[in-house]
Amino acid sequence: MAPYIGTATSRIDGIAKVTGAAKYAAEFNVPGLLHGSVVTSTIAKGRITRLDTSAAMRVKGVIDVLTHENRPPMADNDQAYKDDVAPPGSPFRPLYDDKIKFNLQPIALVVAETSEVARFAASLVTVEYEEVAHVTDIFAARDAAVPIKPPASPVGFTPPKARGQPNRALARAAVRHEGEYYVPIEHHNPMELYGATVIHESDGKLTVYDKTQGVQNVQRYLCGVFGMKPEGVRVLSPFVGGAFGSGLRPQFEAVLAVLAARALERSVRVVLTRPQMYALGYRPAMVQRIALGADADGTLDAIAHDAVTATSQFEEYFRQETGWSGLLYKCANAKYEHKLARLDLPTSCDMRAPSAPTALFALESAMDELAVALELDPLELRLRCYSERDQNHDRPFSSKALRECYRQGAEAFGWNKRNGAPRSMRDGSELVGWGMATGIWEALQMPITVRIALTANGSAEVACATSDIGTGTYTIMAQVAADMLGLPLENISIKLGDSTLPNSPVEGGSWIAASVSNGIATTVAAVRNELLELAKKVPNSPLANAAPDEVKLADGMIVDERDGSRSVSIADAMRHGGVERIEQEETTNPTADDSRARNTHSAVFAEVKIDEEIGVIRVTRVVSAIAGGRVLNTKTASSQILGSVVWGIGMALHEETLIDHKLGRVMNANIAEYHVPVNADVHDIKVIFVHEHDDSNPLGVKGLGEIGIIGVAPAIANAVYHATGKRVRDLPITLDKLHP
Amino acid sequence: MAIYLRPASLKAALSTLAQASGKGRSAHPLTVLAGGTDIYPTRAGKQAWLESFPRDFLDITQIPQLRGIRRDGRAILIGAATTWTDIVAARLPPAFDALKQAALQIGGLQIQNRGTLGGNIVNASPAADGVPPLLALDAEVDIASVRGERSVPLASFIRGNRQTGLARDELVVAIRLPGHRASSRSLFLKLGARSHLVISIVSVAMLLDQGADGTIADIRITVGAASAVPTRLAALEAELRGERLDASLIERVTPGLFSVLTPLDDVRASSHYRRAAARILVRRALANFMEPQVEEVAA
Ligand SMILES: Cc1cc2nc3c(=O)[nH]c(=O)nc-3n(C[C@H](O)[C@H](O)[C@H](O)COP(=O)(O)OP(=O)(O)OC[C@H]3O[C@@H](n4cnc5c(N)ncnc54)[C@H](O)[C@@H]3O)c2cc1C
Repeated sequence: MAPYIGTATSRIDGIAKVTGAAKYAAEFNVPGLLHGSVVTSTIAKGRITRLDTSAAMRVKGVIDVLTHENRPPMADNDQAYKDDVAPPGSPFRPLYDDKIKFNLQPIALVVAETSEVARFAASLVTVEYEEVAHVTDIFAARDAAVPIKPPASPVGFTPPKARGQPNRALARAAVRHEGEYYVPIEHHNPMELYGATVIHESDGKLTVYDKTQGVQNVQRYLCGVFGMKPEGVRVLSPFVGGAFGSGLRPQFEAVLAVLAARALERSVRVVLTRPQMYALGYRPAMVQRIALGADADGTLDAIAHDAVTATSQFEEYFRQETGWSGLLYKCANAKYEHKLARLDLPTSCDMRAPSAPTALFALESAMDELAVALELDPLELRLRCYSERDQNHDRPFSSKALRECYRQGAEAFGWNKRNGAPRSMRDGSELVGWGMATGIWEALQMPITVRIALTANGSAEVACATSDIGTGTYTIMAQVAADMLGLPLENISIKLGDSTLPNSPVEGGSWIAASVSNGIATTVAAVRNELLELAKKVPNSPLANAAPDEVKLADGMIVDERDGSRSVSIADAMRHGGVERIEQEETTNPTADDSRARNTHSAVFAEVKIDEEIGVIRVTRVVSAIAGGRVLNTKTASSQILGSVVWGIGMALHEETLIDHKLGRVMNANIAEYHVPVNADVHDIKVIFVHEHDDSNPLGVKGLGEIGIIGVAPAIANAVYHATGKRVRDLPITLDKLHP
Repeated sequence: MAIYLRPASLKAALSTLAQASGKGRSAHPLTVLAGGTDIYPTRAGKQAWLESFPRDFLDITQIPQLRGIRRDGRAILIGAATTWTDIVAARLPPAFDALKQAALQIGGLQIQNRGTLGGNIVNASPAADGVPPLLALDAEVDIASVRGERSVPLASFIRGNRQTGLARDELVVAIRLPGHRASSRSLFLKLGARSHLVISIVSVAMLLDQGADGTIADIRITVGAASAVPTRLAALEAELRGERLDASLIERVTPGLFSVLTPLDDVRASSHYRRAAARILVRRALANFMEPQVEEVAA
């Protein structure tokens, strides 16, 4: 049997998805299901003084209108609302009291027999407010921004410590570059709307189908908020139509649906509208200043990286916004500062590779500007500054094949044919620009528990409470299990997205592939050990003297690795032992070894063609070379990178959440006006996975869900500079920014 | 809740409209609904603000004579409820190429299948892509009510940003394109922040008729999205009419001839950029007619 790991295996859930058999949270039905429609605030800050629901209540088919005044009890302390990944602060409590903390905040839920009636009646709810002045503009809040406090928890983020004497090094540098860079708020906009279907079971227990990246996180959170017993709530999310980080924390659709189900003792569904989804989290706006100092030969001598990012008034969300250069570039002197600006908006949150695409837009634009100042090829500058160590923590990398990314990426792109002078390359009437940038992300692994049940007929069920947010988790789990159990792929069934399954962290941080694949390996070893014990008892067993680590499972057999002729079939071993089913459940903890840095890397090369007169930019080619450890599935992995590159194009040229600061409200809260690239904006994208061996975990997996987006926007911005001679330091690069 | 009416005849539709515009008929205004592709976003926008959008609807899509394209003497009549997809599929003279090119760039295919020409002009967005090509064709609007029929030039029908001269009891029945020469050619260029599914930052329609002697017998140039109402550049047209169509003309497309435009500064683009882009697109459209074999379309 050919191995599945490393091949282009098609998604095992692909047919279910294209035929509609795959059900999403808002598609589960029960008789008598009620529908909730959310009423949201139209001011950004203040207090509700009057909420009149009488007209809505009079509509035929309306069952109830829930508000802070009549809702059933909810917890009254912050701790109850803290989910597994909550940032420091006081989490938002939906429908809790009369306070308005952000525009589009949910303030009432109209529950009716049909979604149409609920939606209509929601428009009849009238609200009066006492308004208080608000701030939603990061530039207005910038001066009041405060440095982030070092986090209490070890998994928290903080700017790395300064090294050397950065001020002095900057002052003496032969060549200096300093610049300010801006990335606006961006929203996730997954295709699937946020929705929850809560089924009120006959015994009073709740089955909650929710759109989430972490069923157990939602389950624990709901238990906390409503004081429910764990066994009384089960949360499921078998399929997720994209989330990109917006589903890491429990969102308010689940709270509202459970609230209504408890109040009415009925099954209830709540689906948010697209505009309402702009009240969930977002990638925080970020203002950055970078100063670089170098010797004339391109030796980097000083880096200063300051960032201001946005959070809400009630929580402090931030990530590792400033420290990335300490991993990427050798530089003796560096300092970092990270401040938080508080805005009257919902709390910002993780969005695909939180902090890195924005931070590296600044860093990699600045490196390009430094290369220009040095009159050095931008790729050559990066090679001269290449760091072999993580300077933030003064340690080596577990693996770092970035040099190979640069080499293979440059070769595939044809970088050596680049004429370095801006405005020097043309295609007919269009200006051509070639730019590049580097990407870096974390290769994390989390504790995870996997259960495997093997039956004598040679089929296995692999279960874990992780999610597949569209990335292909179902498929890689099946591939890894099939290879390790020595069974055909079609004999493996995967159970995930159910809070009653063995423990999993939320699906984020690119850590699930590494965590769950190694988790499967651990549990398979336990299954194998049990099988070996059975095999030894078979009369005249050829494996009588074999030790567990000397046998493997292959082609339905337990085989001695040293001598393939010594084997016992799994079926025989189980039949002889009178065992129909073997079940093992194991927890796998990642290595606690902190002596090495674990990261994925990328080199991104982009070509733009620009209509010089009107500034229309086409990204005609992108080559993304990735060093991401072992690739489990070349097809799903490529899809992750392709999708990331498309998003990077959007980040560079289109994406921007526009806020009317007078109203404190998003102006383009819909996907007609929040622009992402359309198919016609996406041209040739080539993905290269360079070979990278990593021994941090037995399978050598690093995770590929996020690295692909990092570096794309600066590569494009650098290409735009190369084409036009114009440096755009604030995203997105819209047409008029290129206009003289 | 709202009333939804879908008459099968024009007569029934007009009498319903007449009754609704009379006194005391219904609490909700009766709104004509064609493809709904402008009405729906308007309603969603209101709902996002907790504003109800109480409307009764008069769906006109089942009235046979409102849909389709036919000749009326020398004129061509396009029924108000004709979709963009219908227009793309129709066999029309080259003077209508601009309208077809606009049709192909209105939203995506699903929008083109639903959206209608009548809806586009009555909605009267400054960025309505159907309007510049129609103005270049000297379009007239055929209007009917129980009081009778009238026909007004499109240029005076649209009075401002989302304002028209349509009375409450009136329906647009057709868009009338009076005689045009078989030799007339036309072109539409649209500029947006992405290559498709985008509201125009600026658009240009140009219709050109070249005499046998190579001079410009007739030229009509309209710029969309750069004023409250898409605007004909009469001064530029006059400047070019009678001239030989050659490269020297490009230089005569000077900024001063665009002073009639009043572009906005908004999230889509600065006013300065819009004005400059309008001129560039006009020059390109003109250049395009000099090289008929080259199809050039702004991205
Ligand atoms: C995603 C999306 C993309 C779009 N992209 C574009 C684009 O690129 N370019 C562009 O120009 N437009 C675009 N539009 C707008 C819209 O599709 C067009 O304006 C379309 O032509 C409107 O026609 P409709 O039949 O759908 O109008 P409706 O929404 O049905 O009606 C619009 C208005 O006209 C009135 N009306 C309609 N027909 C008549 C009639 N016969 N008599 C009297 N009143 C009438 C209605 O009462 C209403 O006020 C887009 C819309 C969407 C949703």
